[in-house]
Amino acid sequence: MATNNEIEGFGRVSRTAGTLFRYLLLAATLFGLVFVTILLVYVANDAIRPLTADPGWHLTFFLTLVIPTLAAGAYANRRDIAALRTGVFTIGFVVVALMFSGGAAMIFVDIVEPLTWLAFLLALAVPTAVTMAVVSYDHRVSFVAQFVVTVAAFYLSLFGVPGPLGSLAGVSTMVPSLFGFVAGLPFAPAPWLMMAMTFGPPVAYVGSRYVAGDRDRRTHVLVGAGVLAVVLAGGALAPFAGVDPVPGVVVAAVGIAPPLVYAAGTAVNRPTERVGLLVPATVVVGSLVGAVAVDVVGFAGPQSWVDWAFLTSSHSSTAAEAGFYPAIGGSILLMLTVAVLAFPVGIGAAVYLEEYAPNNRFTRIIDVNISNLAGVPSVVYGLLGLGLFVTYLNQPPGTVLLGGATLGLLILPIVIISAREAIRAVPEETRAASYGMGATKWQTVKNVVLPRSFSGILTGTILALGRAIGETAPLIMIGAPNVKYSLPAGLSEAASAMPLQVYAWSSLYAGDDFYQKAVPAGVVVLVAILLAMNSIAIVLRNKYQSTE
Amino acid sequence: MSDNTSEFSADAGDGETADPTADDMVIETDVASATSSSETTTTPDPIIRSRDLDVFYGEEQALDSIDIDIPENRVTAIIGPSGCGKSTFLRCINRMNDRIEACRVEGELSLRGKNVYDPDVDPVALRRRVGMVFQEPNPFPKSIYDNVAYGLEIQDVEGDHDEIVEQSLKRAALWDEVSHQLDSSGLELSGGQQQRLCIARAIAPDPEVLLMDEPASALDPVATSQVEDLIEELAEDYTVVIVTHNMQQAARISDKTAVFLTGGELVEFGDTDQIFENPEHDRVEDYITGKFG
Repeated sequence: MATNNEIEGFGRVSRTAGTLFRYLLLAATLFGLVFVTILLVYVANDAIRPLTADPGWHLTFFLTLVIPTLAAGAYANRRDIAALRTGVFTIGFVVVALMFSGGAAMIFVDIVEPLTWLAFLLALAVPTAVTMAVVSYDHRVSFVAQFVVTVAAFYLSLFGVPGPLGSLAGVSTMVPSLFGFVAGLPFAPAPWLMMAMTFGPPVAYVGSRYVAGDRDRRTHVLVGAGVLAVVLAGGALAPFAGVDPVPGVVVAAVGIAPPLVYAAGTAVNRPTERVGLLVPATVVVGSLVGAVAVDVVGFAGPQSWVDWAFLTSSHSSTAAEAGFYPAIGGSILLMLTVAVLAFPVGIGAAVYLEEYAPNNRFTRIIDVNISNLAGVPSVVYGLLGLGLFVTYLNQPPGTVLLGGATLGLLILPIVIISAREAIRAVPEETRAASYGMGATKWQTVKNVVLPRSFSGILTGTILALGRAIGETAPLIMIGAPNVKYSLPAGLSEAASAMPLQVYAWSSLYAGDDFYQKAVPAGVVVLVAILLAMNSIAIVLRNKYQSTE
Repeated sequence: MSDNTSEFSADAGDGETADPTADDMVIETDVASATSSSETTTTPDPIIRSRDLDVFYGEEQALDSIDIDIPENRVTAIIGPSGCGKSTFLRCINRMNDRIEACRVEGELSLRGKNVYDPDVDPVALRRRVGMVFQEPNPFPKSIYDNVAYGLEIQDVEGDHDEIVEQSLKRAALWDEVSHQLDSSGLELSGGQQQRLCIARAIAPDPEVLLMDEPASALDPVATSQVEDLIEELAEDYTVVIVTHNMQQAARISDKTAVFLTGGELVEFGDTDQIFENPEHDRVEDYITGKFG
């Protein structure tokens, strides 16, 4: 035998079935991805219509934007792959930050008055400061006393004496709340200055901490002053660009300052990745040069349906003039409401189930049913919202609050499940360390478990919000209007949402025109916003995993 | 530190541990005269005393009728093969076993004469007087300073926290290595440094007893010898109970040794020299000489 083997070698074993199986699995993996990608490319082509542009336009941007960017990327890659990654990340950061600043600007242009905003922030800041003072003044103050002082401070500041409790009893307000006092001041700085006052300092503080770190005081002050200058410049220069100063400040503070701070942090703290900043710089400069060149020579750009007018106007009887503005604003408000309602409840439930709940039959029943709840069709949640809020509690149908509450219920199980996973990922040794130091359960949850799992919880919540932003059925069920011509002025007004507006445009009552023009444009905006949110979740998750 | 209050009511941890720095001053000058005192003539009163202690995990018995008197301000080593219940015994002392649902404890285990399993004992207050260091270094994902100050914060220890943190790090022989980076994360340190950070964290609120569950088993030889030196110094002020599977380590650092063998029995307990040189039981001799286990 042995000699035989030496002569003939070991022979071959057939792998045909295995290879076939492997490629079938690959096909299964790519199946959905390919089809959705094809659809999105098709829709994006319909919406943006790149082929309607002058060939010269494409050529100009190819020369000023694409080639230099590729060259800068290749150069950065050759120096250090981490540098290229930083550069690409910066571009993504700029895009996402600008999108979010746009959303924030909408809120302050059409929904919240700057003075109201300032008054609200002050009315929150003062009692928060009081609370922190009480807590840190003396650990021996009894918990009940601390609690009473804290609640009283918030109540006084937000509602005054006797406030809503008094008006229930028919007593008129004797002492106005801090909120009412500030909001009613007869004199106030220019709205954009108020916005700069509220946005500038926090961004400057975070920015200087990020860039300067443990460096000397001078660097901190320089960075902080730089950020403040950017924010103020946003307000001061916006009129020259034909924009109101208020959105100018918001865009500068939310959309421009953070990426600049990130770039500065890279330049100062990570010398090896500094070269990567060439990539975003090339993109910005290339776009500007290309735009100027195209304008000078007179090449026409693409006849995109997604343009400034589409983003800033409301629905119209003709498809070409129809806009998405009220739907975007409605979706943003819905998201904020959902986040405020679902986040604390979901995390609370997750912490209870992971840290407090005893392991008994009752807990196991809850456990299984939360998973079941995540699978209940969204139209059923719509019915729940309709029955509970509209029929039973007599709320007007279709309001932001109602929609937010319904969508919040819809994503609550997803938030709970993902938050539980994040909490479970906190190592048992870390908990044991805390208990071993003589910490109570509450101290352990507050000081160790929640800080450690926070970014994981946030990731899951953002992904769940992404689910909520695309839901249509529950909103139809609760009677949200398909078409709205203005942003809702408050939480108790009816609001449309992006998927509803798209649905309305594609329905039988709208013409073919809408189907071919407005629908793809709306889908592109919806998907872009979703991707932006998911990208934040992914970045958070990667950061979270890398610090493990 | 040595007051004999036997109540672990909920606020017990607050008052007594008021000023550990004063003690530390004495220690600093005292270290030179420290000797490993296995040949003590006067055995101090036991600080931890167990009588007829049984522990069950569900149906399975992990500890069988343990009687032991652990002396104060000495290093007591607990050795034995895997699964003999030595960690279980350690976790009875600060009631960390409470966190395991299936675990049931019977019999008496007293700290300074007070049975810690009495119904009026608050395990949280108990743990504030009995510090613990675990097998794997487990610093919190916080700064080095916040790690050491954690016990001070949650126990509302009075006094200058900066001072206590510095003293604790010095006593854990870590100060020189980290004094310039107190704000950086505890997780950035090496394994040996992390374990010394955990020791600093455990001694910062000045407990009476320090429990160590194989504290050097995840460390390299250099870090291990650093931690061992540290344990010998700590015994000047703390009662140290250390679980180890390393018999040389037990012989090197402990004054008293308890040998647990399979079945959760305490087979022999006595002065370390006597246990290693002239054990009374054949089973102990077999275990120590490596014939089994």
